[in-house]
Amino acid sequence: MDQNIKQRIETIISNIDQLPPLPEVASRVINMVNDPDVSFKQVAQEISKNQAMTTNILKLCNSAYFSKGNEIISIDRAIVTLGLKEVKDIVLLVAAKPILDKPVIGYDLGQGDLWKQGLAVATMSRDIAMGKKRKDIADVVFTGGIIHNVGKVVIALFVQQAFKQIIDLVQTQSITFPQAEKEIMGYNHQEVGEKILEKWNFPPVLRSIVRYYQEPENAPEAHRLEVSIVHIANAICLMGGIGIGSDGLFHEINDRAIKKTGLTQADLEGLYARMPDLLKQIMDLQ
Amino acid sequence: MLEIITVGVAQIKNSSSPSVLRTILGSCVGICLYDRVKKIGGMAHILLPVNQKVGSSPEKYANTAIPMLVKMLLHEGAKIEYLSAKITGGASMFKIGSNISLGQIGIRNIEQTKQELQKLGIAILVEDVGGNQGRVIDFYLEDGRMKVKAGGQEKIYYKV
Repeated sequence: MDQNIKQRIETIISNIDQLPPLPEVASRVINMVNDPDVSFKQVAQEISKNQAMTTNILKLCNSAYFSKGNEIISIDRAIVTLGLKEVKDIVLLVAAKPILDKPVIGYDLGQGDLWKQGLAVATMSRDIAMGKKRKDIADVVFTGGIIHNVGKVVIALFVQQAFKQIIDLVQTQSITFPQAEKEIMGYNHQEVGEKILEKWNFPPVLRSIVRYYQEPENAPEAHRLEVSIVHIANAICLMGGIGIGSDGLFHEINDRAIKKTGLTQADLEGLYARMPDLLKQIMDLQ
Repeated sequence: MLEIITVGVAQIKNSSSPSVLRTILGSCVGICLYDRVKKIGGMAHILLPVNQKVGSSPEKYANTAIPMLVKMLLHEGAKIEYLSAKITGGASMFKIGSNISLGQIGIRNIEQTKQELQKLGIAILVEDVGGNQGRVIDFYLEDGRMKVKAGGQEKIYYKV
């Protein structure tokens, strides 16, 4: 264990100001859609307060990815046409992009790579939920997919320093890259990600996705399905080379996660084979 | 400045000296073909070994993409006897349940790729395949060299 790196990570995660900030409107909207007492008018008002974001949100509402045909020119209209949950997802996309779109040096990811992977994992996760007739969790796994590896943004600098030690441990101990991150640096990117989501005041299910997407068997039972879906989508996207970095495929596809989702071998191969279409689909979100 | 052409998942592209063809591979396999006389070449980035349905996205599968790439290069004036291949990619997930067939996809991609090239009589000069690392590939059509970046290290294969 590198005590120096461990301490420096501790300093960052215990100091809220050092973690990446998210526009407040995003945190508010994410919690508002879960509150049955909140009307869609209130959500629309909350979003519309932020002019700069509203423009970008409307742009996305009219993208091929989200559009339902008719041009949307107001947030009110967007909520009516696309639904509250869909608009919540779009708010998060606009809010999170500046954080996730940067190069992530220690993981050898160029500008846009982490963002693209988030979009791919989000879309595949949503497809899995819809395929399993679980529309009720489709938006949650989408949001979770976007931000599942946000911790990498903070920890990357240390991964760069400790890379040799981490990869050596992976090889000698036969453990996954995130397990070795924890052994060498005291923390892995999932734990750091959880801290970031605490700062953002995100709901528990999203925190579980970020914290446990690499080890779904340890997720709280109530969130295990959502976590398992993002776990599988992440693994398949990496196999397809999407967002693959210096940690390579030193990861895991967990049997129990697959069992939890009820996906068959053919389903998994189908998800992998549909990757080119999925990449076309996310093109206008990049 | 060298022109860098990105080859996406399940795409085939060809060009001539001094362009560079670039791709990123996980379990997919990248097939780099080069005509050393004409200094033209191409790359296929295949996702799966065998196309089960005729006519559906041939670029995706080793058994249909490789003949397609060869045809493309011959059309550009390459000669089959001057073509040589470098293949790379086909990594596997580090830990994967033994009964998950998707875990074998990298290995199956490599095997099928070799079979197809053998059928066409194209020699494989370089194999940088398997393992658990992602790879960033640059294929230089200037001289046919291939650079493989994996796990923070770079290797260059010059043989053509």
